[in-house]
Amino acid sequence: MFDRDVWQEIFNTLKTNKLRTFLTGFSVGWAIFILVMLLASVNGMENGFYNQFNDDATNSIFVRPGTTSKAYGGFEEGRRIQLENDDLEYITQSFPEDVEYISARYYANATARYKDETGSYSVQAVHPDHQAIEKTLVVSGRYINEADIINKAKVAVIGRKVAEDLFKDEEPLGKFVEFNGLPFRVIGIFTDDGDDNAERRIYAPISTYQRIYGNTNNINMIALTYNPTYDISTSLEFSGRLEDLMKRRHKIDPDDQSGLYIFNYAEAFDNISSFTAVLKGVGIGVGFLILIAGIVGIGNIMVFTIKERTKEIGIRKALGARPSQIVNLVLLESVFITAISGFVGLLFAWMILAAIGPTIQTPAFSNPSVSLSVVVTATIVLVIAGVLAGLLPAMKAANVKPIVALSDK
Amino acid sequence: MIEIKDLHKSYKMGSNVLHVLKGINFKVEEGELVAIMGSSGSGKSTLLNILGMLDGADSGEYTLDGVPIKNLSETKAAQYRNKFLGFIFQSFNLINYKSALENVALPLYYQKVPRKERQEKALKYLERVGLKPWADHLPSELSGGQKQRVAIARAMAAEPKVLLADEPTGALDSTTSYEVMDLIQKINDDGNTILVVTHEEDIAHMCKRIVHLKDGVIVEDKKIEQVRAEQYV
Repeated sequence: MFDRDVWQEIFNTLKTNKLRTFLTGFSVGWAIFILVMLLASVNGMENGFYNQFNDDATNSIFVRPGTTSKAYGGFEEGRRIQLENDDLEYITQSFPEDVEYISARYYANATARYKDETGSYSVQAVHPDHQAIEKTLVVSGRYINEADIINKAKVAVIGRKVAEDLFKDEEPLGKFVEFNGLPFRVIGIFTDDGDDNAERRIYAPISTYQRIYGNTNNINMIALTYNPTYDISTSLEFSGRLEDLMKRRHKIDPDDQSGLYIFNYAEAFDNISSFTAVLKGVGIGVGFLILIAGIVGIGNIMVFTIKERTKEIGIRKALGARPSQIVNLVLLESVFITAISGFVGLLFAWMILAAIGPTIQTPAFSNPSVSLSVVVTATIVLVIAGVLAGLLPAMKAANVKPIVALSDK
Repeated sequence: MIEIKDLHKSYKMGSNVLHVLKGINFKVEEGELVAIMGSSGSGKSTLLNILGMLDGADSGEYTLDGVPIKNLSETKAAQYRNKFLGFIFQSFNLINYKSALENVALPLYYQKVPRKERQEKALKYLERVGLKPWADHLPSELSGGQKQRVAIARAMAAEPKVLLADEPTGALDSTTSYEVMDLIQKINDDGNTILVVTHEEDIAHMCKRIVHLKDGVIVEDKKIEQVRAEQYV
């Protein structure tokens, strides 16, 4: 296979038939080009979808209370479930391995006033971990910290829009703003990639709000992220365990769908993943069909080449070439053309992707690219394709009778 | 060296059966230079094909250097051809994209002779046919006589038991023909066994023995006084 003479022969044949070699190789190169581009496009769509969810941490789970629809454990149906601070601790202690960040949320509305400017905003009273869960980007100042929680400090992190509305050109940090008449010190300003509405939000320490609203332990929901190394199935399994535990704790029928809502982003991803998997399958399918056309093209040319070289093959056999050596020669030539032209197609596709891929950033399509595994697979496919393309012509060549080399007088 | 007993060969041509060789008995000793003559259709080419293991006989025996040649697989036939036989064709049949040297080295390649040794050997045989300076030339850059000399060097490179020449001078003018025959005679002088198929009387008389074929049978087999080609060159 790595015989210098065999390669010399192959190069010679290709060199003497440059145009034919080019045209033959083009079909396979083109097929690989399309295959890679299709896969990259699917990959781009996948990236686009994932970016849509990137606003929140992709490994987040939200636990919301509801109203039971089934009688269970001595309670009648229609019971409202209330989450409390204890639930947070309970989850943290029950799943020390699984939970990465966890925060409660307490919702309130506030009429905020600074000097003459007023506005109505939603307040989310949260724990410090909430920053990581929402991926909140603090552009100046800081986020809520543990000390704020312990001290029940009247501090607020306000969205960029809130700052613009209330403070105009003034620097908000350190200023006091009134929420429903109570003064809160602005400690930070955040932005959000998600949308403008998110920037009309105010974060405050949860303990502060729980005290303002009558020393309650109530919380509206729990947001958490799980161990980021989990894959989709592990994460779904974890949210299942979480649901079981919380339902047991609040005496909700395990089959009750409305007592407690647990939303796991992985479920959405699961759906997207299966969607893009189908797309990927279609892409591979179409790419392969085009590749088959390329293979047939090469096979066709090889048959023609063999016909043209019948005499030469006859001479070789008369000189003592064994059939297997002839098969070898034809197969290697076929594999060589296929592999080289496929690589050229691959290289072109890769260069185009590398050049324009990162510039494409639309919501549904972003950074189309191919992974190493695709490249490796394509290479293997190319070699197999080359063998397939050369097989029939090679067998034809091996069956050439040396007598034909003598017979043309 | 070659022994043939009652060799028969027929071809199917549609519904007709063409009986080409009708019982050939024939023996060639080592070092002989035999001309096989006959008009076209006499069966001389068929006989040469069978001798060259390019075609199989229907019946009869063929022994080459004590080895019975019968029911060979393609691979085995290729091996025997490589080991026992050297071919010289009318149309030279050089591979046109290979240099003279590479052409001569080709049978050695199929004998799995290492590259360096192959080149040396090929060069030696090119020298012997007087074409060493043309070693790197392509066949298209050589004259007809030179091409045939390259082909002769190629046939000899594998050091076969028998050289089979099928109308070796058929495509050459008379002067060049004599040059080629001179070379063949000299090779024979060195003790090589050579069979030459020809329909030219003067060429045949440059051999040492003439076998006449007509309608698939040997009609005449005689030893002759060899005419040296040298005097015409």
